[in-house]
Amino acid sequence: MKRSLAYFGERALLVLISVIVLFPIAWMFLTAFKQPRDAYSLSLNFEPTLQNFVTVFSEPWNLGSMVMNSVIVATVTVAIAVPCAALAAYSFSRFRVKGRKFLFFLILSTQFIPAVVIVLPFFLMFRQLDLLDTRIALIIVNLAIVTPFVIWMIKGFIDAIPTDSEEAAMIDGASRLRVIKDIVLPMAAPGILTSSIFCFILTWNEFLFALILSRRDAVTLPVGLVSFRTERGDLWELMSAAGVMITVPIFIMALFIQKHFTRGMTAGAVK
Amino acid sequence: MQDRLLPYWLLIPAFVIVLATTIYPLAYSFITSFRAWDLTKSRRPGDFVGIDNYVYAASESAFLNSLWVTFVFVITSVVLTVILAMALALLLRRKGPMHTFTRIILILPFAMSPALIGVSYRFMFNPEFGVLAKGIGAVFPALQGVPWLADPQLAMGILVLTDVWHWTPYMTFMCLGGLASIPRETEEAARIDGASNLRIVFGIILPQMRGVILVMAVLKTIFALKMFDQVVTLTGGGPGTSTETLAYFIFNVGFRWFDMGYASALAWILTAIMMFISIWYVRMLLSERKMATA
Repeated sequence: MKRSLAYFGERALLVLISVIVLFPIAWMFLTAFKQPRDAYSLSLNFEPTLQNFVTVFSEPWNLGSMVMNSVIVATVTVAIAVPCAALAAYSFSRFRVKGRKFLFFLILSTQFIPAVVIVLPFFLMFRQLDLLDTRIALIIVNLAIVTPFVIWMIKGFIDAIPTDSEEAAMIDGASRLRVIKDIVLPMAAPGILTSSIFCFILTWNEFLFALILSRRDAVTLPVGLVSFRTERGDLWELMSAAGVMITVPIFIMALFIQKHFTRGMTAGAVK
Repeated sequence: MQDRLLPYWLLIPAFVIVLATTIYPLAYSFITSFRAWDLTKSRRPGDFVGIDNYVYAASESAFLNSLWVTFVFVITSVVLTVILAMALALLLRRKGPMHTFTRIILILPFAMSPALIGVSYRFMFNPEFGVLAKGIGAVFPALQGVPWLADPQLAMGILVLTDVWHWTPYMTFMCLGGLASIPRETEEAARIDGASNLRIVFGIILPQMRGVILVMAVLKTIFALKMFDQVVTLTGGGPGTSTETLAYFIFNVGFRWFDMGYASALAWILTAIMMFISIWYVRMLLSERKMATA
């Protein structure tokens, strides 16, 4: 009897946790499909509409161009950061070179530098170079945040790969670069994919850089949210529709890597 | 010959990126922090003024206020997140379909954009039509019509809430990783001997999790010191300056008042705090690893 009480208590707790996790997300999704007059009521009995999505993609909001900016900035950042980081991670993982400890320490420490410190000089520099409000500017500063993190993560995955087959191939006369390309990369692929998605999420959600370095042309989705705050007040139904556009791709990716994520995270951070 | 230099060649691309995107800007803002530079008046950096910017900071009440706000925010958010994450991990490490489901959805708050989290909590706590404001009012009539985000303490509370909601999942995953790596024999032996759950948690599990908890606390401290997005989208630093964290204050000085010299000095104060904690953190990680491999 006592056991079943604990049993139900535990399940009730799990339900409560799920509600706390899901409710804010669910409420945003619901609001995105409400008409403006329903958005300000708590009623669940409303006529769903796609009008908000039509509105945010048309003038003057132009969410389409923000989606493009977000996709391009995040994709290019990943495409530059991940290959560079993978090579560095391999080097850190396999070689005991001079100064290795210092370099690793340096790269790790930069991960913790506040973004607001980095963005100040970049703002001044991009102003000189006339690069303010461009995607290139956002890609450059995002690399600062993402690269150290990805090195750290991929190193964890490469550390977990046994070196036996690499050594065997080297004895057979394969060069180190060949070994990396034909043996290490295929084995590390799941880890690299996980790190890439993680890096994509970080860049996609990045707010501070985009807020400061973009005005009109290079505005990304998270910053676009702020534009729904108008003189007429906050347009919640449109914000929610934009919020759905921000979260859906990221949620799909996050759920896709969920399993690896738990492992990669703990490998990177704890061990 | 080629093979000997290869380790360095592999490091070069990443190192160039890190050098160009973090080390260089850091050095640049360090130098700027000793200059007077009002961007609204001049496009060129002004004269060197020694440590004037730092001296000014020490006496400016807005800065001191932001330090205090940051301190309160960091402490509450770190303590709550670590305790909740530990408790959640203890619950979720058990097997069962509901446990698995909760573990899976737990990644969603972490993947959600913090700016968006700020926006949606702002919506839910709107006193007129916010679902949480109304819901709380319905359950506790005394709290009906409370202007949540217009009250300094409550606004801070909600700011902490958004941060805890965002970060607890990540920290729970770290805890689960830690729990999976500690041997279960002692725990099972104690259970057979009839030890209570509480005793097992506090007497056996938590002592073994000391390292993980320490790492979590330091990591979360660093994230909390950096927190910026929700201040913009949830409270705007208000009401008044009650939620104006250091990162947000620096943003205001730099990009609303365009005082580059002073903003750089403030940014370096924040950097110094973070570096101090980070270096300590990395050292701790390296020494833990040494202990683990020894």
